[in-house]
Amino acid sequence: MPEIAVLVKRVPDTNAKIAISGDRVDLSSVKWVMSPYDEFALEAAMMHKESNGGTVTAITLGTPDCDKVLKDAKAIGVDRIVRVWDDSWSDLDSNQVQSALVSALKELSTEVVYCGKSAADTGASSTGPGVAERMGWASVSNIIGIEFEDAGVEVLIPRNIGNARTGVSLPAVISCDKGFCKPRKPNVKGIMMAKRAQVEVLGADIPTSSINIVSHTPPPQKASGQKFEGAGNVPTVVAALRNDANVI
Amino acid sequence: MVYEALDFYDIESECTEEEIMVRDMVRDWVDEEVIPNIEAACREGRFPEEWGKALGEMGVLGMTIDEKYGCAGMSYVAYGLVCQELERGDSGLRSFASVQGSLAMFPISAFGSEEQKMHYLPKMASGEWIGCFGLTEPDYGSNPGDMITKASDQGDHYLLNGAKMWITNGTVADVAVVWAKLDGVIRGFIVEKNDPGFSAPEMTGKHSLKASVTSELVFQDCKIPKDRMLPSVKGLKGPFSCLNNARFGISWGAIGSAQACFHSAKEYALSRIQFDHPIASYQLVQNKLSWMLREITKGQLLALNLGRKKDAGTWIPEQISLAKMNNVDMALEIARMARDIHGANGILDEYPIMRHMANLESVKTYEGTHDIHNLIIGRWITGIQSFTRTL
Ligand SMILES: Cc1cc2nc3c(=O)[nH]c(=O)nc-3n(C[C@H](O)[C@H](O)[C@H](O)COP(=O)(O)OP(=O)(O)OC[C@H]3O[C@@H](n4cnc5c(N)ncnc54)[C@H](O)[C@@H]3O)c2cc1C
Repeated sequence: MPEIAVLVKRVPDTNAKIAISGDRVDLSSVKWVMSPYDEFALEAAMMHKESNGGTVTAITLGTPDCDKVLKDAKAIGVDRIVRVWDDSWSDLDSNQVQSALVSALKELSTEVVYCGKSAADTGASSTGPGVAERMGWASVSNIIGIEFEDAGVEVLIPRNIGNARTGVSLPAVISCDKGFCKPRKPNVKGIMMAKRAQVEVLGADIPTSSINIVSHTPPPQKASGQKFEGAGNVPTVVAALRNDANVI
Repeated sequence: MVYEALDFYDIESECTEEEIMVRDMVRDWVDEEVIPNIEAACREGRFPEEWGKALGEMGVLGMTIDEKYGCAGMSYVAYGLVCQELERGDSGLRSFASVQGSLAMFPISAFGSEEQKMHYLPKMASGEWIGCFGLTEPDYGSNPGDMITKASDQGDHYLLNGAKMWITNGTVADVAVVWAKLDGVIRGFIVEKNDPGFSAPEMTGKHSLKASVTSELVFQDCKIPKDRMLPSVKGLKGPFSCLNNARFGISWGAIGSAQACFHSAKEYALSRIQFDHPIASYQLVQNKLSWMLREITKGQLLALNLGRKKDAGTWIPEQISLAKMNNVDMALEIARMARDIHGANGILDEYPIMRHMANLESVKTYEGTHDIHNLIIGRWITGIQSFTRTL
């Protein structure tokens, strides 16, 4: 019965207005949520357990502020919740994050890892493949369907010309797109279980960072929209859609 | 339009993590399942059965009752937050949950025998069995103490005779907690839907709480076994204890309705242009929005403080009266103001305003009318009861 892990990340609510203060993003007053793709990864992990047995461990990396996403996962029914952190760390780069996660996955004897296809804050899509690389495991990304078999899984991966149904034997890292399953909701009993659950904290040896962030800048302001009124403007609108917006 | 709750005094920071998790669970469900479907349900005049099931699955029915009976044993503040989110959807939905949890499950849990608790509560918590609460009669509303419905002891069973009116969930209920006089003393009885001599025709023609089922309960020599009487309570204390819990929930629920109306009014005022500027830029409109914020904030502080007292067991019923009366009153006034800010659009079912306004008219009356709560508080202040002429 597989040891299943799901990587979940705390990110600013995707509706939050992100402000820059000085030359750094100011996240002091944003609402935090589990990264939306991770919700699908969590559901896939739960489905895997329902199909093949085993245990599901939700893992996040970060300070105690990140415990909330683990509690959210616990409320949905995962067996264990693990946070990877060492108080000497701050702002880790991708290399460090992946190394730390890999250390925890090894300690937990994980056989299959689910994660979101990208995190809603950085959008880098590097964690899943990076973890697979370090583990020396198969990596399938952006899946939009999954079926569970005795020794592995069969996943649906979008390709330019259609979808590829792909068999994967374990161990593997599977990164999930949205939409192929309906993430289950917590209920009050789950929330009470989560309240009582202990977060296990694991440390790790990580390499030193070779990068540093110099500054953050806000995205360029979007140009304001144009308004056309009356049937007489139809040709202008069509021309604009065709020539400027390139949508028709 | 993403819903952003008004939380001017950061009430959220006063709540525990699990209270917020429960609130968000219900908030998301209301956004996804209720708000897109509520107008249709009102138009058809029905309570969608699947909502009752969903409430059971979420575990919010009777959620303050002990885990031993399949409930969650959560705080009253958590229950309040659930009522708030449900009523942001619709007062009829919150009514369903109030009746099930506070009026039907609560008396069984507080005054029932162990067998009654084990038999009824788990199935009611899961939403499999729906409950109702029969106190009001055609001739006795604010004055239930003079009720006519009576039970008579027939040796191996009781016979119930009489009629109840305005009973939420009556027609769809599997279990009715009915208050009737046995030898002149008010007692609670559990009536099941198939008991002989019991019927529950639906009352139609409501302009308010259209998505909630309201019924008569009719008892004609209704025969129930002896073990269906609630053993541990006599007199008005029974129904009034239930009402205290439901009224507490309403004091939070009304904040939900007020929030829905405020949110809609704010968005509308910012986007509606008259005389070249958004109407939100005019002082008269800002004054209205400011009044709404002020009243919602006061109502939140009242409800939270009362909730903590409920959890600590240090409350008095008059405090519940104040919160129910104040918060429903402010919500109704906010609904009316929001209707005004929306202009003609305010009367359309595209906006939630008129529905909340019409619903709140019922909420103002049920669970103790606005003025009955004034009289309860008046008695607390003066020590003189003014309900009847016999002083
Ligand atoms: C939609 C809906 C659902 C309901 N659901 C339930 C339910 O599930 N179970 C249940 O048992 N009941 C239910 N009720 C009934 C509700 O509790 C009663 O309507 C309420 O108690 C008021 O009674 P009444 O309507 O007979 O009004 P009345 O008592 O006749 O009051 C009419 C007016 O007279 C005023 N008044 C009465 N007495 C005094 C006094 N002494 N001094 C000054 N003013 C006074 C009142 O404040 C009110 O303004 C429901 C009602 C509605 C509208």
